[in-house]
Amino acid sequence: MVLEKKGSARVEAGQRRVLDEATRQRRLTRQLEALEKDNFQDDPLSSLPPPGPTARLPAFSETEEPEKKKRKTRGDHFKQRFRKNFTTLLEEENLSEKPEPNYLSATAPPSSLPPRHFCCVCGFPSHYTCTTCGGRYCSTKCLCTHRETRCLKWTL
Amino acid sequence: MATLVLDNGAYTAKIGYSQEKVSVIPNCQFRSKTSRLKTFTANQLDEIKDPSGLFYILPFQKGYLVNWDVQRKVWDHLFGKEMFKVEFADTSIIITEPYFNFTSIQESMNEILFEEYQFQSALRTNTGFLSAHHYFHNKPSELCCLVVDTGFSFTHISPYCRSRKMKEGIRRINVGGKLLTNHLKEIISYRQLHVMDETHVINQVKEDVCYVSQQFYMDMEIAQMKGEENTVMRDYVLPDFSSIKKGFCKPREEMVFSGKYKTGEQILRLANERFAVPEILFHPSDIGIQEMGIPEAIVHSIQSLPEEMQPHFYQNIVLTGGNTLLPGFRERLEAELRSLVPAHLPVSVLLPANPICYSWEGGKLLAHHPDYDEMVVTREEYEENGHCICEEKFDI
Repeated sequence: MVLEKKGSARVEAGQRRVLDEATRQRRLTRQLEALEKDNFQDDPLSSLPPPGPTARLPAFSETEEPEKKKRKTRGDHFKQRFRKNFTTLLEEENLSEKPEPNYLSATAPPSSLPPRHFCCVCGFPSHYTCTTCGGRYCSTKCLCTHRETRCLKWTL
Repeated sequence: MATLVLDNGAYTAKIGYSQEKVSVIPNCQFRSKTSRLKTFTANQLDEIKDPSGLFYILPFQKGYLVNWDVQRKVWDHLFGKEMFKVEFADTSIIITEPYFNFTSIQESMNEILFEEYQFQSALRTNTGFLSAHHYFHNKPSELCCLVVDTGFSFTHISPYCRSRKMKEGIRRINVGGKLLTNHLKEIISYRQLHVMDETHVINQVKEDVCYVSQQFYMDMEIAQMKGEENTVMRDYVLPDFSSIKKGFCKPREEMVFSGKYKTGEQILRLANERFAVPEILFHPSDIGIQEMGIPEAIVHSIQSLPEEMQPHFYQNIVLTGGNTLLPGFRERLEAELRSLVPAHLPVSVLLPANPICYSWEGGKLLAHHPDYDEMVVTREEYEENGHCICEEKFDI
């Protein structure tokens, strides 16, 4: 009995769901992807009822007719050829077959220094790892906050 | 003939004629909660009275120009009668692009400059080339120069020898100002107040309170202290865009260390966030990005170059880009490099007076250079030879 009480934290850990390495990695990737986002919120325009079929909103209302026409054809031309996002462009470049140095080879390699750990709740240096998700924490207080709020967030 | 210099950054465009001064203008469009139907372009940002919840539409993705519709709207505005009144047939343009730019982006750029806008001539180049040109102009006796450009999308380290870039030494760290702002937004939202929608406001917070720590773990200890002893802690008053137009730090003497403020302003209390956020530039692994920090990557870059050149690079490091304005950036970088580089080699890091516009100024100098006319591609040449002539003449 006494033994069981002492090891309660570990018993508890056994009962909790433990995320495997792949899930942890996926979670990290998603977190890092979120840091690349331009906006967190939705486009304020999209929350309005959609405008009529003809009215794609022009940025500037006061342009003369002939110029407007010209710009429209120009826009179509560009839509067809240049509407690609970063990932498509990167794939199209086919860099693995191109001679180095290129975009991929120029990326700084992993650091040779040991990683430093910070509490994911308060940001101060941390010594402990959450058994469930692998997140770091510095004190029981932060662990509680972590479990209540973020521990199993962003997991599929 | 006039020459227009355009350092086309992912967040701000640095633009101006080579005879005049530079203007720094947002290179994007905005939408605001208050006037939902209107899209604001570039410096029309100033017209938005309440920029809370500002929505950004950026032409760049990960530092590369992909959204041409937006870019052309911004350029139309910049070149148009409201701003630079460009006479395309009588204007030469110097325009920048990132390293290892994709071929299709380069070709679109040629087409837009020569076929749509019909500039008389153009010079496409890397931002670092203009910075290096500026550096060699100021220090004509130097042969080598290492440009560290840490901007909105990422950080590049690029060595130049006699104004030629040494491609094999270029290193990219995928940490830039956008990531820092987003990270700050994220941790503030988790720890005290939901500000995920307030990129614009939090970017200002970052610029106002963040700094690069000289002794990281010591600052961590100070930031953990209670009350008056905590000299790192700041209370930042958020703008409400009616009575407070711009956020600011509470002066130390007005700070309330325990309890609440009676003034009713919205306050952010920042301690370790102030230096832990810029720290990502020095240790990307702190948030799980498996890449070297700036000092380590500089050494890695220089060590890939011919040995006899290496001492020259360590002595001629120049910092450009907005992140270098974080207080303490230069000192920290120099100190870390000092401990990484062999003791007999001198290390010198230069922070120019205006690191954001340093490369633009370089472009301005280049426009007045006697060889400038031979470096550009004219519209006639482009019409005759197409993309090949640009590929041949431009070193990118």
